[in-house]
Amino acid sequence: MSAPAGVVGVFGRLDAAVEAVGSLKARGYANYRVYSPVPRPELADALAKKESPVRVFTLAGALCGTAFGFFYAIATSLDWPLITGGKPIISWPPFVVIGFETTILIGSLVTVGAMFLLAGLPKLGRAPGYDPRFSDDKFGVVAFGGPAQLAEARDLFRAAGAEEVKDV
Amino acid sequence: MATLATPVAAAPVHADAPPTYAETTRDVIATLQPPGRKYFAGMALVLAGLAFGAFCWGYQLRYGLGVTGYQPPIFWGSYITTFVFWVGIAHSGTLISAILLLFRSGWRTAVYRAAEMMTVFAVMTAGLFPILHLGRAWYAYWVFPYPNFRGVWSNFRSPLVWDVFAISTYLTVSATFLTMGLIPDVAAVRDQARGWRKKLYGMLSFGWKGSDREWHHFGRMYLYLAGFATPLVLSVHSVVSWDFAMAIVPGWHATIFAPYFVAGAIFSGCGMVITILVPLRKAFRLERYIRVSHFESLAKVCLLTASIVAYAYATEFFMAWYSGNPFERASFYSRAFGQYWWATWIMLTCNAFIPQLLWFKKVRTSVPTLFVISIFINIGMWFERFVIIVTGLSHEYEPWQWSYYVPRWPELGILVGSFCWFSMWFLLAIKFLPSVAIAEMKEALPPPLKGEAHR
Amino acid sequence: MERRRFLQVAGAAGVGVAAGCSPVSGERLLPYVNESDQLTPGIPEYYASTCRECPAGCGIVVKTREARAIKVEGNPQHPVGRGHLCARGQAALQGLYDPDRVRQPYRRTARGLEPVAWDEAIQAIGMSLGVAATSGPDRVALVTGAETGPLDAFYDEWLAAFRSRRRLRYEAFAYEPLREASQLTFGVAAVPEYDFAAAQYVLSFGADFLETWLSPVEYTRQFAEAHGWRDRRMTKFVAVEPRRGLTGYSADEWIAPKPGTEGLLALGIAASVLRHGKAELSGAEADRVHGFLSRFTSRAVADAAGVAESVIERVAREFAAARPSLAVTGGVAGQHRAATQTAAAVNLLNYVAGNVGRTVRYHGTSPWDRVSRYRDAVAWVAAMRAGSIDVAIVQGPNPAFTLPKSAGFADAFKKVGLKVALASHLDETAELCDYVLPDLTPLEQWGAVEPAAGVRSYVQPAMTPVFDDARQAADVLLAIAAKAGKPVGRGATGARDLVAAGQAPAALDHALQRGGTFAAAPARPVRLAPDFARLPYQAPAFDGDAGAPVLVVYPSAALYDGRGANKGWLQELPDGATRIAWQTWIEVHPQTAARLGVADGDVVAVTSPHGKVEALVYVYPGVRPDVVAMPIGQGHTAYGRNARGRGANPLELLGADATDASGALAFCSTRVTLAKTGRSVRLATTEGSPRQLGRGIARAVSTAGALAGRVEPGPEAAVTDAERAALAAAAASQRARAEIGVYAQPHPKWEMTIDLSRCTGCQACVTACYAENNIPVVGEEQVARHRGMAWLRLERYFEGDTSGSDFQVRQIPMLCQQCEAAPCEPVCPVYAAYHTPDGLNGQIYNRCVGTRYCANNCPYKVRYFNWWDYGRDGDPYFAFAEPLNWQLNPDVTVRTKGVMEKCTFCVQRIRFAQNDAKVRKRELADGDVTPACAQTCPADAIVFGDAHDPASRVSRLKGDARGYHVFDLLNTRPGITYLERVIADGEA
Repeated sequence: MSAPAGVVGVFGRLDAAVEAVGSLKARGYANYRVYSPVPRPELADALAKKESPVRVFTLAGALCGTAFGFFYAIATSLDWPLITGGKPIISWPPFVVIGFETTILIGSLVTVGAMFLLAGLPKLGRAPGYDPRFSDDKFGVVAFGGPAQLAEARDLFRAAGAEEVKDV
Repeated sequence: MATLATPVAAAPVHADAPPTYAETTRDVIATLQPPGRKYFAGMALVLAGLAFGAFCWGYQLRYGLGVTGYQPPIFWGSYITTFVFWVGIAHSGTLISAILLLFRSGWRTAVYRAAEMMTVFAVMTAGLFPILHLGRAWYAYWVFPYPNFRGVWSNFRSPLVWDVFAISTYLTVSATFLTMGLIPDVAAVRDQARGWRKKLYGMLSFGWKGSDREWHHFGRMYLYLAGFATPLVLSVHSVVSWDFAMAIVPGWHATIFAPYFVAGAIFSGCGMVITILVPLRKAFRLERYIRVSHFESLAKVCLLTASIVAYAYATEFFMAWYSGNPFERASFYSRAFGQYWWATWIMLTCNAFIPQLLWFKKVRTSVPTLFVISIFINIGMWFERFVIIVTGLSHEYEPWQWSYYVPRWPELGILVGSFCWFSMWFLLAIKFLPSVAIAEMKEALPPPLKGEAHR
Repeated sequence: MERRRFLQVAGAAGVGVAAGCSPVSGERLLPYVNESDQLTPGIPEYYASTCRECPAGCGIVVKTREARAIKVEGNPQHPVGRGHLCARGQAALQGLYDPDRVRQPYRRTARGLEPVAWDEAIQAIGMSLGVAATSGPDRVALVTGAETGPLDAFYDEWLAAFRSRRRLRYEAFAYEPLREASQLTFGVAAVPEYDFAAAQYVLSFGADFLETWLSPVEYTRQFAEAHGWRDRRMTKFVAVEPRRGLTGYSADEWIAPKPGTEGLLALGIAASVLRHGKAELSGAEADRVHGFLSRFTSRAVADAAGVAESVIERVAREFAAARPSLAVTGGVAGQHRAATQTAAAVNLLNYVAGNVGRTVRYHGTSPWDRVSRYRDAVAWVAAMRAGSIDVAIVQGPNPAFTLPKSAGFADAFKKVGLKVALASHLDETAELCDYVLPDLTPLEQWGAVEPAAGVRSYVQPAMTPVFDDARQAADVLLAIAAKAGKPVGRGATGARDLVAAGQAPAALDHALQRGGTFAAAPARPVRLAPDFARLPYQAPAFDGDAGAPVLVVYPSAALYDGRGANKGWLQELPDGATRIAWQTWIEVHPQTAARLGVADGDVVAVTSPHGKVEALVYVYPGVRPDVVAMPIGQGHTAYGRNARGRGANPLELLGADATDASGALAFCSTRVTLAKTGRSVRLATTEGSPRQLGRGIARAVSTAGALAGRVEPGPEAAVTDAERAALAAAAASQRARAEIGVYAQPHPKWEMTIDLSRCTGCQACVTACYAENNIPVVGEEQVARHRGMAWLRLERYFEGDTSGSDFQVRQIPMLCQQCEAAPCEPVCPVYAAYHTPDGLNGQIYNRCVGTRYCANNCPYKVRYFNWWDYGRDGDPYFAFAEPLNWQLNPDVTVRTKGVMEKCTFCVQRIRFAQNDAKVRKRELADGDVTPACAQTCPADAIVFGDAHDPASRVSRLKGDARGYHVFDLLNTRPGITYLERVIADGEA
């Protein structure tokens, strides 16, 4: 078997996993990954990621939606002006409803799309170090790097209280 | 699904202790066990009802709306009533999943998945009615503004077009919201499954692994989606209410309608959630997850919204009197004491009076009682829409054109069919998808920490 | 149709008549592949003729398109009707195209009626006639309707050829009392000509002159002239009748005397006039009349009639004060055992007031002079029973239905050796006959009648016969006579020759183009003859046990004597008074109903000493508590799909021997008992609520009020001037913003005014709308569910205390108001409802998806939905069964299932007129466009035109002080302005 690409520590305890992550960061590890059945604030803090850019997409999507809604209502009304009930061809109040709904619709769809994009989904096939237990009750921390780093990682995981440490 | 984890014991040893992550996974996935005879019997019943509904619609399409009980000037009847009813039902789902998420109220986690399923299926049901109440249903697509050879777009001044946008947006967004919430759970199911199911759930989970990166963006997305869904849920029923409020029909033309309808919608929705959760919880033995306290919270929401609705009724009558408008006065007098008095009083009893029982903790915490009350709420809210629509139209400006309408069998058949259509989807869903949110359930549980006794 | 258009086409008509329309030629209607040089596709042709739906004989113009008659309208040049026509006249089309018509000759065999060849039938009938003629005189009977003119003479000649004088001009309503009374009072056995237009005060003792009485269309026209509010004055109309019908609705005051006492009341009034020295009498005549009238003191009459003495005195004062006034009587409903006395009393009243010769005129002849009396019919039945008639030929009337059952017509008729029906329908009489020979309907016939002195009105075919095998009765009789070797008709080969006999072709063509020759006939002066004093003047007797209510049987304004019962338009036309269609009801006063414990729709068994029928209760304040009323016309056992087995025939309750001094049948002669059957039926009525609850829909003001410029305040009275100003400003800015695209160009604004002081509620407009706009007939059950499709409906509201007789009736034609700010338009998701540049509410059927939102949002509730596929053959509610579909107006779509429809202001007529003007390179003039309703309105209450043209009639009328909009406070800005009705009050 070839040299392992990484090492995974399986943790039954949240704080253990958090500790492992912390020490990895302390050792200046850049390339590691954490699997968890639930998103825990402790983990998020340990990882200390910067704000997700999803929100930018959300805002852009929403604004596009608004613009589209009003444009659509106005353009189609002017395409063949038909007067109903003596009301003006461009009647703003009703068009607000349309603009609102398209804001929501396009805004949310773009948000979801952005999530898929940023999270790299859909990702079919196997991820290195993933273990089915990670969707059940175990936390997994995977460290990548050269042989030396991996050896160090093994020790860190054990020290943090990993129930199991294996190469991948 | 024999290829899944073994089911939990009938009665867990420590029933009221919070379940562990593993138990949660196992218990929830256990709900996807192959169904028993009862399930199939129920499904058969539902399909039969659906078939009858379909027949009724076919009959109506062939001969025309004459087969219904419509009696001018009552041009809208049970169909629009049922439409509004289902749209209303749909609302609590989003309320619980989105609004309560923003408010970070913990009790939602146990019930929101079922509520969301209900939302999506209720909208799917409601969406049928504007189509099948049409005189020429085969041209329903004409209300969508798309480039066409008729050269005419749809009239954006018409509340019905607002409906088209509101309802389709609502369906899309709530369905998306449901799907997104399902991703981690489906992944969990995938990891417990084998064979082709593993593949299937693998696809459905989009290859979700629960990595830090995924969770990072997922959390944001979910939050913003909730942020969108919240104004949406409030807008949708407002728009629906404007179908009436924008018309000049006495009894319809009122500014109170939007909030009044939204409150009513949440009221009926929570009622329906209770109606659905009680049997679900029993059948799937989810007592440890869907707790009585959850029902009590639901009951409190019902009590609140019921009070708002009752207040709205009072306001309507007061304004009719206070406005001095003779048409409004006559309309509301006939609503209470006219030929539709029975409908009105059913409405008042079920929506305003019976829910007052919920002031008592005993009632709120007794699941069977809640179930019975929720049934009354469902009936009452159907009649609320019937009263608004039919009594309004029956007693309009032209006394010469006053009239009386009662639904005929094809309408009732389609009403039954709609319930069966809804139930069909729900029955399918609870056997293919986890009806309790696994990941979020775990989120709500105390995490396993060092130094704890190994359970 | 307007006069100019008429003249344009009249020329074509003459030619068309000469060439295209020989009724005996069996050629088919022209198919389009080989088109005629006289037909321009899309351009209508008009044929002048005469309406034969009742004996009145109004002048008509038949509109044909592509050689098919599609509409019947009044002939503007004709002295009878003056271009207007009632519902019955317009429904002649449905008689023409009735799918239940007899299509070929039949002979009765053991197996029932079987087809037979014409020659065979004529041969057989001719032989029997020959035998009958040889076996003795008067063994042949010929029964026709009220005929006048050449064909009438021909029938007599024909009969004489077979040595018989047994001719019966049978009419169910023959107004014998009027003729007899004229004989007694003035020595003239004629029906006088009444001039309502000149009358300053109209007093009607039960004459339904706006419905069926003598010449309803002409009288409606005249009455509207007098009774309508113009030049700040109007004629007061007082109705004296125990049952208030449609005519009574136009009355400013209703006096409800005990049934049978109308005559006494008239005498009491005459006496009072005399006592106050207001009589226009002198010398011996005055003394004689005084002597006769002295015993009819107001007190005595008041007691007998159940009317307050003061009322009699007041009416007498008013009647005498107004010069000339007019008193009329002789309605079928008031025809009791003292009918002749009543008529004589009214003649006397008119004479005393000096109306005779002014509003009541006698001419040399009247169309009623030779109409057989009921007693003649009875005698004929007796002769048949005695077996002294061998051959009976019935052409037109339906005695088996219109004679009371107790007359025993059917049994007597069976005794006749050979019974021949020359009938267009297999009615009750035809069903008893041995031969049924298909007759042509009036729109396919030749003929000439004299509806008024000096008027010779022609009947000419508007199209080739719908059914090849049908032949006009006169032609058949000619053929029979020829076969029997009895040459008659001076060598005439057909009806046309008989009509044309002795006239220059040119003169005839001219007359045919105009519709006839109209000469003014001088009135002949009459003096009072003393004979009437012979009659016993007291209230008549009624059969049945005293205490039971008296049954008033009245002719249906739509079905007449039942001849209209198979015409869908007439069946679906709600009754003028009760607004019930398709059914037979019995009107019961609320008090009586409470006493009997019956409610609307309860089925009750109505029993008289002579028979028993079942009818639906309609609780109605318009009858006295001691009276119940039933309409004639339903209860057919044959006749066709719409008539058979529907409702009940009240004539079965009458005693055949109940007659008056003139030998007329006393339609009001028996008391009846009502017994509940326990069943109840939904009334097929259009009525939602009989009260308008102060909503200002149908408004009225008293003469005093009108003179003071007051109007009845509506709910919009609450709107302040500031608010009005704001509304006006908003409207102005809306209009400004609407100046876009085609809307920015100059357009007319089509508007309408309806003068409620002229409208009598006759509903001719409703039928006109059915005919013009292809409106489907939906049937009893659908009408009962308020699903009638009439785009124009008459609403009837009671005002005031309906427990007594002192209440007013408000009527208003309600149709699409063509609002400028129409609530129906913006709610349509697909622009099916939108506003046209010329101010109409467009309704685009093929865009409509049927959300029905527009109908919900229409405050006037004038949008109608196609619940069924009325236009599709094979559907349960298919309304245009072949050949009824021939009548469909090609300019108007037949709407499909699931779309909304409504009044269009007859947009097809607007466009036709605009294109016509364009083709003729001239501006559209006011009056060029007339919707069907306005065209036919006998009262000329509806005016239509361009509101942007300040000179147009409509512009001037909508500015009238009486003008108002219904539901003005909704700010819909309707295009229809109603002019308040004015009700004459107090001493006019």
